[in-house]
Amino acid sequence: MHGPKIIHDENGKIFIERFSLIRRIEHILIILAFLILAITGMPQKFYETAWLGDLMDLIGGLDRARTIHHLTGILFSIQLMLHLLYIVIGIALKKISLSLLPRMQDWRDLSSSIKYYFGYKKTPPQYDTFDYKQKFEYVSILSAAIIMSISGIVLLAPVFATTFFSGQIVPAARIAHSNEALLAILLILIWHIYGAHFAPETFPMDKTIFTGLINKDDLKAKHPLEYNRLFPEDKKN
Amino acid sequence: MLNVEIKNRKLDHRKIKYYIMKLLLSIFISSFTLSLMGESSVLNDSCRNCHLPQDNTFHSSAHGPKLLCTDCHNDYGGFPHEKRHFENKRQYSLDKVKTCQRCHYSHYTRALDSVHYVQLKAGNLDAAMCTDCHGHHDIKRPGATRTDITKRCAKCHDDIDKVYRQSIHGSAMANENNQDVPVCTDCHTSHEIKEHNDSSFHINAYKTCGRCHGDQEKMERYGLNTNILTSYLDDFHGASNRIYSQQKQHSEKLIAACYDCHGVHDIKSKKESQTHEEARAKIVQMCKKCHLNATPSFSNAWLSHYPPTLKSAPLVWLVKWFYRIMIPLAIIGLILHILLHIWRASSRGDRLKK
Repeated sequence: MHGPKIIHDENGKIFIERFSLIRRIEHILIILAFLILAITGMPQKFYETAWLGDLMDLIGGLDRARTIHHLTGILFSIQLMLHLLYIVIGIALKKISLSLLPRMQDWRDLSSSIKYYFGYKKTPPQYDTFDYKQKFEYVSILSAAIIMSISGIVLLAPVFATTFFSGQIVPAARIAHSNEALLAILLILIWHIYGAHFAPETFPMDKTIFTGLINKDDLKAKHPLEYNRLFPEDKKN
Repeated sequence: MLNVEIKNRKLDHRKIKYYIMKLLLSIFISSFTLSLMGESSVLNDSCRNCHLPQDNTFHSSAHGPKLLCTDCHNDYGGFPHEKRHFENKRQYSLDKVKTCQRCHYSHYTRALDSVHYVQLKAGNLDAAMCTDCHGHHDIKRPGATRTDITKRCAKCHDDIDKVYRQSIHGSAMANENNQDVPVCTDCHTSHEIKEHNDSSFHINAYKTCGRCHGDQEKMERYGLNTNILTSYLDDFHGASNRIYSQQKQHSEKLIAACYDCHGVHDIKSKKESQTHEEARAKIVQMCKKCHLNATPSFSNAWLSHYPPTLKSAPLVWLVKWFYRIMIPLAIIGLILHILLHIWRASSRGDRLKK
């Protein structure tokens, strides 16, 4: 397993590649799919809310909103399957490290982070490649995507779905689809937008997911364990 | 000063005399006109000489104390009447109902939106217009004759009336004189009656049925399920039709409305006849109307008009409660975490230790 690419630009600044091109494209596709699905989905859930009713009219009515929602949902599910396939193949070939997989250390980090917030610790915990907040978000969105895709397929083809499962799966999928959507949207609006834009250390924006690069100082501040691994000579100084 | 006062008093005296004269004159004139206009008997009596039977029924009608014969028969003022030609009696009636709009403008125009008027315009001269339902000389107040409404419709729609009388609604009306059950006009409206396959009629069916079946008090009176409307609107079909009924765009898509499963005029009580298994078997047949390959397993997706319980639908109940607890917990947790983060970033957290 190789470490990440380290890039020296013409001004002598050092950047570390954090996300490959595929991961960056994946993120942009998720933004698009997420927006389209939320815009066409939420007016279906909250049609009594006046402005969402207006949004429904703007889209062109329920039938059109559903068509767009179904098409985007299918494409999004395909993207999810490719992502899962990538992980499975990556594990099989031992080509990827599961640096986003939560471990016991993340629970310890959470508790020491809370202690730090309340002032019982002088320093925040030292994070590796991904901190527990990022892992939480990744796992939440991944599981949300899986739940949304499965329940979406059940709702799209209920007769087909009930040949394998009992009839209850359909109303259960309906409740899961609509509630998980709400949870995911709130998670993005609250957690992701705060973490990637409004948190004091990242304001106004963490561009790493778009450029793929993080500069050396930021890496040292946010992910010291990875930094120490990549630049062991700095540690000695 | 004094002089002026006396002068004024004289003037007052003359004025009062003048006013009394004026008052007497106006009372005389107005009572004369009233006797001519208001009391229909004066003019109507002259019609009575020839049209006695019509006049008798007219007197006891809703219009009796209010209208003159010539208010409707306005082109027959003179005597002998001017000769006019009509193809037949029906043609005459069709021509004559136009006078109704002079007073009942809103009802008349609404009737112009009805399926009856569409038929009439298309050349079906038997299609109902004002006098076919309300009568002509014998017009009664409409509210007073609720149970008669079905009889009026049955004059043309007797086949539907027969089916309706067998239904839970119709039999309660016919046998028990029940005033709560719907008669024709409660669902079809009275004037702007839409075609039965009109999609707006279909989309808004849940409101039509919901007027009674969404009425808690009324349903409890008959020991009926009070969750009918809410459970329908919570389901995919109901939610869809509700959006269709609210959105600006018109949709021709037919998503199951109340009567697609329960029947239209032949609605039967669910309590009679069937066991649970028979009922479920019937539901599959209903599903198949739209979902052609529906199986019994698929039909179990319909949880009936009751909220899911741990016993009736454990999976649905669990999923529902999982999110009911998870969403607020997760959101509160995340917001607290963010607030703590901001708090610490502003370094006030340090003071705790100091």
